Amino acid sequence: MKIGFEIHEQLFTDQKLFCNCPTNYRDVPPNTNVCPVCTGMPGSKPSSPNEKAIDSAIEIALMLNCEIVVDKSIYIQRKHYDYPDLPNGYQRTSLPIAEDGELEDVGIREVHIEEDPGKYDPVQGKVDFNRSGIPLVEIVTDPDLSSPEQARDFLNTLIRTLEYSGRVRPEPSTLRADTNISLKGGNRVEVKNINSVKGAFRALKYEAMRQKRRKEVKRETRAFMEGQMITVPMRSKEVAEDYRNIPDPDILPIRIEGEKVEKIRAEMHEPPHLRRKRVIEKYDIDPAVADVLVTERGFVDLFEAVTDEVDPRFASHWFKDILRKVLNYKDMGPEDIPFSVDNLVELLKMVEREEITPEKGELILRKMVEDPKNPKKLLEELDLKAIDRGKLVSSVEKVIQENEEAVRDFRSGKKEALNFLAGQVMKVTEGKADPREAMNVLEERLDE
Amino acid sequence: MGEMNTLQKVEAIKSGELSTTENIEDKLETIEERDGEINAFIETNEDVLERAKEIDRKIERGEEVGKLAGLGIGIKSNINTKGLQATCASKTLEGYVSAYDAVVVERIREEDGIILGMNNMDEFACGSSGETSAFGPTKNPSAEDRIPGGSSSGGAAAVASGMCDLALGSDTGGSIRNPASHCGVVGLKPTYGLVPRQGLVDLSMSFDQIGPLSTDVSGAALLTEAIAGLNENESAMFDLESVNYLGEVEVALDGLKIGVSSKFRELTDPEIMDPIDEAVDYLRDQGAELVEVDLPNLEKAMPTFYLILSVEFFSATRKFDGRKYGRKIEEVCGEEVLRRIVRGKYISRKEFKGKYYQRALQIRTLIKKELTEALKKADVLVGPTVPKLPHELGEDISPGEMYAYDYLTVPANLGGLCAGVLPFGKVDGIPVGLQVQGPSLGEASVLNVMKALEKR
Repeated sequence: MKIGFEIHEQLFTDQKLFCNCPTNYRDVPPNTNVCPVCTGMPGSKPSSPNEKAIDSAIEIALMLNCEIVVDKSIYIQRKHYDYPDLPNGYQRTSLPIAEDGELEDVGIREVHIEEDPGKYDPVQGKVDFNRSGIPLVEIVTDPDLSSPEQARDFLNTLIRTLEYSGRVRPEPSTLRADTNISLKGGNRVEVKNINSVKGAFRALKYEAMRQKRRKEVKRETRAFMEGQMITVPMRSKEVAEDYRNIPDPDILPIRIEGEKVEKIRAEMHEPPHLRRKRVIEKYDIDPAVADVLVTERGFVDLFEAVTDEVDPRFASHWFKDILRKVLNYKDMGPEDIPFSVDNLVELLKMVEREEITPEKGELILRKMVEDPKNPKKLLEELDLKAIDRGKLVSSVEKVIQENEEAVRDFRSGKKEALNFLAGQVMKVTEGKADPREAMNVLEERLDE
Repeated sequence: MGEMNTLQKVEAIKSGELSTTENIEDKLETIEERDGEINAFIETNEDVLERAKEIDRKIERGEEVGKLAGLGIGIKSNINTKGLQATCASKTLEGYVSAYDAVVVERIREEDGIILGMNNMDEFACGSSGETSAFGPTKNPSAEDRIPGGSSSGGAAAVASGMCDLALGSDTGGSIRNPASHCGVVGLKPTYGLVPRQGLVDLSMSFDQIGPLSTDVSGAALLTEAIAGLNENESAMFDLESVNYLGEVEVALDGLKIGVSSKFRELTDPEIMDPIDEAVDYLRDQGAELVEVDLPNLEKAMPTFYLILSVEFFSATRKFDGRKYGRKIEEVCGEEVLRRIVRGKYISRKEFKGKYYQRALQIRTLIKKELTEALKKADVLVGPTVPKLPHELGEDISPGEMYAYDYLTVPANLGGLCAGVLPFGKVDGIPVGLQVQGPSLGEASVLNVMKALEKR
């Protein structure tokens, strides 16, 4: 089985690709971020392509290990087709700005920039041109994937790489994908209309099954129907048989200078798969922990920021088990973290030196994401200082007296009763006892 | 007042000798009297007298006014002028009111020019006769019963008949120079990339260029100065802030190299060459040096031009799909527009890749190179504009015959060069325009040679 992709993501620029309109199209009423250029009014002329969009695509291409097309004329092509969301009747798309890349053994054939069309609502028959002209990066892979599962993993890695670049729009994914799939000896089928990784997986699963059952597979373009999880042949009207590509006479070709590429290369972000490898080797941490660390660039950035002062292995587990959990619970991304690296280091040191228990560390962290203060202060405010031994012993006494049945169970060999009793001690001490110490004292007393 | 050239008229207005209101009232009267017959305007502007009074008040108060102060200017109907219709003389865009000003229109307003209205033209600038407008043909005020030429037919006719001081036309393959020649006025196609095209409705984007029509050379220079220069938001432009042609006064024809080509004579009716030869003789008598230049592929320019144009025009008209503006172009346009769309659609097919369009682009490069070489040997090329006299209005001619009008004007568009036209004599009472072609950004030389000939 051979699977390849054509991926489109919106680039994160302030202005559109061929005009100065703003790009925050989701935040404004329909047809407000528009001008004669991005609505294709008669006589309107595009400006030269947005420099920042080109730089963004270069950085992404470099992260995908591509060769940038340097010192050559890269023409902007007009790709003609007729659809209500396309104000000019053609879409502007660049010839490759980069070629011959690779991401985890999957060939990256080409990287282009192009303009997003508007948004057409076929039910109401209305078009919103706010999106028209937003820059897109188009990434074309070689058909190097051999199963829907592998394709899904690859897409996740690719999307993470794009997110790492910081060059794609940060809003929930704007992914649009076309995929092509062929079974051994069979014809290639293209599937359009995929908007998520899950969608890609389902479309490929369906196609693989469908093609397996056919004696002969027709070479065609099909559309993925998200709701039904099937693919259907596209009506011939929807598939332009000929885009009649011509270079856009209104736009001078792009020329990328080698110097610029080197500047971007020097400052670009390390792609996640390489970062994972480096983090594992440099800090001697478990691959499974590293997998969690590199889910987001901000997260692993923060991790690396604390490793100067905190033991990396200790920190890595803490990041994976606790920080991740707290962020997920609060529905926060690393970029939303309000506290400083210093405060986090302080907290981790308190746990590392066993000044507080990991459980208390977690309680403080939960507070810290709401109220980004020094963790020592929070410790006092939360009144979490460990209780003294005398108080602990008396609490244990109290629990033993009040839970005769559990005590009997424990003494008759039901070891799990100890957990219940320890829980009761924590309850009586309002969580201030160190649970390990509570266990110890309980065991001592019960063994007597 | 009739003897003043355009520059002198602006000076008179600025000094208060002539009021803007007087000038504009005179234009409105002429339009009233003559346009019913000539049909040079599709729409006239309502508020021109108020604008005229504003400028007069500014002058009375001693305020600075722009270089087009008080002049009445017509705009070709393919150039967006806010509040007026950019119909392109087509049913497709009938009733389409521009929502924005073309950059050239903005610049005219900044220079205190007064926009009189939208001039008639060949539909979508597809024509060389002024007959294909959906709003009826334009008549030639300078040669009764003859076509005015096209496609900037209305602008040339309006200037020739005194309805406008100046007009903005567009020239893709001769659309300023051809009607200038037939109507006996001055026209200039500036170098490609000198004048912003933002707001000009596309015919063939790699050739289109906006330029002036005027009764005299000073007016053409003045209007070009007003509209030329970089528009930051446009891609294919020269990085030039502004240009100055009027400052460069007297021309020394002495030692100037005038290029002539036997190809011009080969392609042109002999009678038309008479006044052209006369002009060349005059230039030589004034001290210019004549240089014979070699243009071996000149006649290939026309077919090459129509191949490229058709592909670009097909692309440009895809937006007229009937969803946003009036009606779908293929359903309502005239014959010639449809012919070009269908041809463009045909030759841009994937299966013909490399056969027509690619090949045409190669020949374009070849012709550009030939012209550039010729213009290294000579400062300007002097020759005829249109190889034959205009036909009678309404006479049925074949598309091939129509395209043949363009043999001598399309090379400058293929080369991206500049070229001006000056009325120089008449044949059978019909004006003949002399064409002066210059190198890229050679407008100053072209205008200077035209000025020298104008003075004769």
